[in-house]
Amino acid sequence: MSTLELVRLALSRLGSSRLRATLTMLGVIIGVASVVALVAVGQGATSGITKQLQGLGTNLLTVNPGSTTQGFTRSAAGSATTLTIDDAGAIARLDDVAAVEPEISTQGLVVAGSKNTTTTVLGTTPQYLTVRNYSMWQGSFLNQAAVDSGLREAVLGATTANDLGFGAESIGQTITVNGLPFQVVGILQAKGSVGHVSSDDQMLVPITAVQHYYDSTTKVRSIGISVTTADRIASVKASITNLLEQRHAIAAGGTDDFSISDQAQLLGTVDSISSLLTILLGGIASISLLVGGIGIMNIMLVSVRERTREIGVRKAVGARGRDILAQFLVEALTLSVLGGFLGVVLGVAVSALIGKIAGWGFAFNPVTVLVALGFSLLVGSVFGVWPARQAARLDPIVALRYE
Amino acid sequence: MIEPTPAASADPPPIMPSGEAPGAAAMRAPLIDLRGVRRAYQLSKVTVEALRGVDLQVRHGEFLAIVGPSGSGKTTLMNIIGCLDRPTAGTYRLAGTPVAELDDDGLARLRSRTIGFVFQNYNLLSRTSALENVGTPLLYQGVSRRERMTRAREALEALGMGDRLEHQPSELSGGQQQRVAIARAFVTRPALILADEPTGNLDTASGAEVMERLHQLHRAGRTIVLITHDAEVAQRAERQVHVRDGRLVP
Repeated sequence: MSTLELVRLALSRLGSSRLRATLTMLGVIIGVASVVALVAVGQGATSGITKQLQGLGTNLLTVNPGSTTQGFTRSAAGSATTLTIDDAGAIARLDDVAAVEPEISTQGLVVAGSKNTTTTVLGTTPQYLTVRNYSMWQGSFLNQAAVDSGLREAVLGATTANDLGFGAESIGQTITVNGLPFQVVGILQAKGSVGHVSSDDQMLVPITAVQHYYDSTTKVRSIGISVTTADRIASVKASITNLLEQRHAIAAGGTDDFSISDQAQLLGTVDSISSLLTILLGGIASISLLVGGIGIMNIMLVSVRERTREIGVRKAVGARGRDILAQFLVEALTLSVLGGFLGVVLGVAVSALIGKIAGWGFAFNPVTVLVALGFSLLVGSVFGVWPARQAARLDPIVALRYE
Repeated sequence: MIEPTPAASADPPPIMPSGEAPGAAAMRAPLIDLRGVRRAYQLSKVTVEALRGVDLQVRHGEFLAIVGPSGSGKTTLMNIIGCLDRPTAGTYRLAGTPVAELDDDGLARLRSRTIGFVFQNYNLLSRTSALENVGTPLLYQGVSRRERMTRAREALEALGMGDRLEHQPSELSGGQQQRVAIARAFVTRPALILADEPTGNLDTASGAEVMERLHQLHRAGRTIVLITHDAEVAQRAERQVHVRDGRLVP
């Protein structure tokens, strides 16, 4: 018997008991759909988080004073104020460094007319825009001249501007920060938040202004560095380490009084967590596919029992054991593959819907679909073989007399 | 999967006259040749002998009735003649082929090309059209769908069922179902048609009709072996043998 004949036989058989076939397939449909959808959700979440992290800055390195967390012990991070503006200047002269911005921050009470808000006042340089990947919504950013002469100019983050009731027409107005007047020259484009940290609730002023009016020191809170290309990040990191160890007179093998974090680390962590999540979700979904397979086996066993006489008749008119085996196996496979196909369609639809609601868009992954289809084929053959063998082994005399 | 057998590929007329068949030497040997056939069943610890040494030869073109009461062993005899079962002792040659030497696949192939079955309870495939039912034996001979349908239609038309091709068994009367079963039995042009109580479930008129069809096949040259306990039906056969307690009696 040709495969075509077998498939035709299976389809006409399944067509004659549509409800049962549909219910049996439902197990596989749900299994495959949940594998496809949950893996897509995992991957969508990953790409969403990655995109947001990349939004923090292009090829970003951050140098912080003091050391960061080691194991579970936090050793006075940021308490040591060892970085200076001169360090930032030296880093800017290294190869493959696109832009450098040192930061000093303080908290400030900002008053505009009858409204006020408390926010982070960040002293920085014009490179801030490039390094931190912001763009302007209104007005212009702080220029080099303002930094050089410590002008009292301010650029507002989107949230801060909103808190103060500032819009497009507010450029040029004067606000007071801890009692000193500043002129608003621009408002940043909103960027959204990562986790609970809003990157839009802040106010940017020339670094020299903070030093001059609030914090008469040359120490900086952190230095942001934008590296030219992603593949240079490691080498730039190494040369910054060398440079700062030299400048801070730290002997080889000594403990650095600064730390450098890069996005690759963060992305790597996010990536490993989310791929674990994806595997976990896929694994849970696979269990439902397994249950669907058991459903197929169950129905096929019932079917073999019900159709014992048919098997006897087929054998009497010349069917060999392997013809019967093939017939029942192809029936199980038709159920599982048809169910798998419908499951893929459903899974893709569900993941597109979830992606749309969650806002990370829809990524169709043909590998997942192929794996899910392959898996359903496997489920069909594994769970179809045993009932089919039962059928094939029936003694025609016994089968013919079966009531 | 099944290579076309000589009987299927030689393409003789649907009901072939006995004298013109190929292999004249084989024709002189009996179609059915049972010698000292015994069949014992192991029931828990007791051995039951259903057949206790049966010698039976049936020539090509014969119409033989095997008569016996229930429990006489005639069903076991039919199973052995029909290659559904093997003797525990003795030899059985069907169309010259020693059955004992065949494995299950070999038996299936021998059934497929040599025997057509007609059962008491018709044994048609449910939810399957008459046409598909009659085409089923050809399916296992590897005949193409188109040819299957053509030959099945011819067989059904020969039995006056030409207007019931697409009917399912549940839509047919007993007599009609049995005629579909007869069509299925001879669609492969087998040498032997083995009918087990073919009129057992039918009213007198339908039974007469079915018997007439079997006689028609016999007149056209088929070998017919009929198993029955109905003396009236048996009397119309050319030859009768009686089974009693696992043995043939005159």
